[in-house]
Amino acid sequence: MKFKGYERLDGSVGVRNIILVMAVADCSEPVARMIADGIDGAVAITQHYGCISGEMVANTLIGVGENQNVGAVLLVEMGCEGMPAHALGKIIKKTGKPVDWISVQELGGTRNAVTRGKQIVTSMSKEVLGLERKEFDVSRLVVGVKCGGSDTSSGLAGNPAVGDFVDKLVDAGGAAIMSEPIEAVGAEEPLARRARNEEVRKKIYKMISDEEKRWSVPGAQMEFMCKGNVDGGLITIEEKSLGAIHKSGSRPIMDVLENTDRLLEKVPEGGGFFLQDGTHLEPMTMSFMAAAGAQIVIFVTGCGATFGHAIVPIIKVTGNPETYRRMSQDIDINAGTIMNGEESIDSVGQRVFNEVLEVASGKPTLGETFGYHNFSVFRRDPRLEVLLKISR
Amino acid sequence: MMMNSKDNVATALENLEAGVVASVIFPSQEVIREVTTKQAIPFGHKIAMMVIKKGDKVIKYGEVIGTASQNIELGEYVHIHNVKSNRMQMPEVWYRKEE
Repeated sequence: MKFKGYERLDGSVGVRNIILVMAVADCSEPVARMIADGIDGAVAITQHYGCISGEMVANTLIGVGENQNVGAVLLVEMGCEGMPAHALGKIIKKTGKPVDWISVQELGGTRNAVTRGKQIVTSMSKEVLGLERKEFDVSRLVVGVKCGGSDTSSGLAGNPAVGDFVDKLVDAGGAAIMSEPIEAVGAEEPLARRARNEEVRKKIYKMISDEEKRWSVPGAQMEFMCKGNVDGGLITIEEKSLGAIHKSGSRPIMDVLENTDRLLEKVPEGGGFFLQDGTHLEPMTMSFMAAAGAQIVIFVTGCGATFGHAIVPIIKVTGNPETYRRMSQDIDINAGTIMNGEESIDSVGQRVFNEVLEVASGKPTLGETFGYHNFSVFRRDPRLEVLLKISR
Repeated sequence: MMMNSKDNVATALENLEAGVVASVIFPSQEVIREVTTKQAIPFGHKIAMMVIKKGDKVIKYGEVIGTASQNIELGEYVHIHNVKSNRMQMPEVWYRKEE
């Protein structure tokens, strides 16, 4: 099986050709937006932890800049951030793609920065957008899987169909990644049984128990499921988790990828299914998976969802026939046919696979047709990690 | 739909009224038995497939999803009022109490 992607100078393969205008902190976000506005292929992003955002945020921004879907990067800084644009830019530049950076303070303010930024991005656009798609084997794909706004249909139909796709992808030599440790609480055993070796088995237990500690601090009121989950029939974290892990398929778990202030580990070459330490919060997880090298993310929803992502196309799947009927303008794949007894899990899994190959070759997802490019990042509070005695 | 033969709950694939007889199927669509609803069961919510005593495990997907916090009869609605997580409890928040 083949798809048509963009070959990068470092040999990696993208499925989109994005010119990323990255404000390293939210103070310069408006300038980044003004620069990207009106230029073909340009997308502006930032992070909202301010100018002393920490290393986990820096790792994510570097990772998304390095992502194969990104053809070129302009970093924009105010000039006094703890995380300077050139420090991030120099690392991203090692991929060989065009990377540049500007300082709003050095250039003398908004108008000058926007003018200079637009010159750089326009020239990047000319350089990058002419690139032609070439045929690649499906083994070059890394696909993220995520579910959210889950209801009972997610565990019965949507996630099993996506899990079936993951098995088919892995069997064809591709890679898949899932990053939502809290949605593994109560599902440790079925995941641990799939660990490639004892070391990976231990990593799975540690990742899940660490996340359980973070979300169940005595005396702290933390909601970890949404109201839609309960209204949709899911009553405990165990039930939600056992349904959620269906989308990870059944193949061996190759590794748990580290995602800390020290390191955001990438999906290695060679294919297989990987867990990533991270979060269950949707657009943030997608940024993590993109930073680890996912080119596409499949999102399974029960209640329905309308978003996209700045770096990776999001293919939306629902197992709830009523949700699909109501929101077919936003949801790419109807797995509700499984709930109705009209179609097998294997058949829907194959439809998901076909859609992934088409989207990888350039077909826009419904979210992309609306121009959605959500972007947010997540960080753990290093103080909490110390207080909870969570070792790396 | 009953996900695994070890399960003691099944999921309603449509809104069920109280006192109706529903067919129970496996994911393969094989019909395995019938159950009479004691209460209305909304789409996607769960019904007890046997008597589940207070303190017994509630099983779905062949795995434990929580513990019964009250005695549950065959055909009864299984939801947050009669099952508690063994791992993490959701807090009550003011904006939900206001509803």
